[in-house]
Amino acid sequence: MSDTLTRSPGRPPRSQSRPNRLAGLLDRPARLLGRSPAVRVAITRVLQAVPVVWGATFITFCLMNLLPGNAAVALLGDDATPEQVAALSARLNLDEPFLIRYLQWLGNALTGDLGNSLQNNEPVTAILGRALPVSLELVVLAFALALLVAVPTAVVAAKRPGGFADRIGMQVSMFGLSVPNFVFALVLVLIFAVGLRVLPAVGYVPIAQGIGPNLRAMVLPATAIAFALFCEYTRVLRADIVDQMLREDYITTARAKGVGSWQVLIRHALRNSVFSLLTIVGLQFGALIGSTVIIEQMFGLPGMGQGLLQAINSRDIPVVQAYVVVMACFVVGANLVTDLLYAVLDPRIRHGRPAA
Amino acid sequence: MAVQPPDLATARGADPAADPLDATATGPARASRRRGTGKGLWIPGTILGLIVLACFAWPLVYRDLPSPTAGSLLAANLPPFSPGHLLGTDPLGNDIVSRLLHGGRVSLEVGLTSNAIGLLLGGSLGMFAAFRGGWLETVTMRLLDMLIAFPSLVLVLVVSTYLTPSKLNVIWAISFFSIPTFARLARAATLRLREQVYVVAARLAGQRDGAILLRHIAPNVLPQLLTYSLLWVAAAIAIEASLSFLGFGVPASEPSWGMMISRGQAYISSNPELVLIPSACLFLTIVCLNTLGDALRARTGAP
Repeated sequence: MSDTLTRSPGRPPRSQSRPNRLAGLLDRPARLLGRSPAVRVAITRVLQAVPVVWGATFITFCLMNLLPGNAAVALLGDDATPEQVAALSARLNLDEPFLIRYLQWLGNALTGDLGNSLQNNEPVTAILGRALPVSLELVVLAFALALLVAVPTAVVAAKRPGGFADRIGMQVSMFGLSVPNFVFALVLVLIFAVGLRVLPAVGYVPIAQGIGPNLRAMVLPATAIAFALFCEYTRVLRADIVDQMLREDYITTARAKGVGSWQVLIRHALRNSVFSLLTIVGLQFGALIGSTVIIEQMFGLPGMGQGLLQAINSRDIPVVQAYVVVMACFVVGANLVTDLLYAVLDPRIRHGRPAA
Repeated sequence: MAVQPPDLATARGADPAADPLDATATGPARASRRRGTGKGLWIPGTILGLIVLACFAWPLVYRDLPSPTAGSLLAANLPPFSPGHLLGTDPLGNDIVSRLLHGGRVSLEVGLTSNAIGLLLGGSLGMFAAFRGGWLETVTMRLLDMLIAFPSLVLVLVVSTYLTPSKLNVIWAISFFSIPTFARLARAATLRLREQVYVVAARLAGQRDGAILLRHIAPNVLPQLLTYSLLWVAAAIAIEASLSFLGFGVPASEPSWGMMISRGQAYISSNPELVLIPSACLFLTIVCLNTLGDALRARTGAP
């Protein structure tokens, strides 16, 4: 108890600069592997991500296996005979204890074998390999679109806080944060596919058939996802820039030197706002993956989201498991990349010193 | 007290009314901002109150409301303002007003209940972890971080289907994922409160940990959690609607807004109002919750 009494007051430290015990533990192997502090920080971060990925697989496996209901019964339907259920249970290894099944699965997964689909016995990795590029293209397009629009909007809004552009920008982003993405997507379909008939409402064209048709099919889904991202990014960026303009000494210095106001905004404030932008990008990645599930289903894109829904519908457990684990790994990976980018951008973090 | 935990400050994006602009704006700008905050509280509050009344009280008072699911095909696809059907009927002949009211009930029930569970469990978990500190705090927080890292919609989807879709299971699945958020918020608040003089005094006076948590810390953490929970109700309603939209939510015997939108999708070129009306209701509810939450946060200075 005395420990809690003597601990110094103050704001809770930022998570990426908290010197926790885990980091200390991992520091030694990192020290052995690299001499430069930058490499060391990077290795520590990668090592820290390993238990998180492992935890993600474990949680997924627990959820899929410990929830009430027998997978074999679910697969066969209610009118299955006990013999059928027993046979299928044996085929799915459901008779083994939970931990054994988990370790078997983990061992296979580490060697790149995620099992076979219960539907058509196709290897799960092949299914993933087909779906992954579609989802990746969607996510990358949405990201690019959101950033392209959000950065200029935020800068213009922050130029005169409370001004016309600022008010409009903030209203639009409030609107965007409140409208569920499938509703927004339906409105887009209603306008561009049903009303103006300029873009297809549904369907996917592989890149192999030409970049133009492919992009035409991707525009609406990517916009539907990008809109929510754009709103979130604009709000965060704008708030951060406004905050800097009021508080930071380097802004005052730049202004006193006679640097033009756009220059101050873009070269001094915006560059430092990259950190809050990165934070929000990392935090939002999970939500982003969630929205791809809905949007892919709506627009008939054969990506991971649609694959997941189909697998859930047909109770194809190995496939569902693989999709969830891969999605979780993506989120962890995105956070890792965010962390590493902090270190690339900020020398203080790179050298293991806490950021201000 | 105005220190913001950075994760939440950035997660929601500091809203315009709460940023330091307030302190520096002078004259009419400042006055209009104040008035803006007042409006931001009362307008969404009133609309929300009306929505809640309409969904929960109207069907009790106005007994002649047609059933939301037992429509007759003879009355299918009636246009809005038909006699007896204010907003018309859907392709199965169900009254749209009645479906909207029942759907709103599902949305609000799921949103509020899952939020209450998350607030109670997550809040106490976060408070306890921060108060105890040490390895207990580290382990709890790491575990919750792991949950936060998950794409929540995906897991809610998986959990609620595996538990066979029903309203109760949707609620459990969603609240499972509201726990980490509330725990983080409660932890940040408790870390600040723990060092307050009155907490130290209570401890020196020999009060037990449980008593300090309940009587000195919880009353101060709760307002912040409640303010934030408005935003979470909005998120939960959106998740519920997404689930229903995908067909994995509340079963078809109970209409919900998400399901109405998804059913209307097939008729989007002939009867766009089938999609637009429930979408508008969903949007109105969520935007009111968000504005109210933002305004309350700005007013109380809570993160």
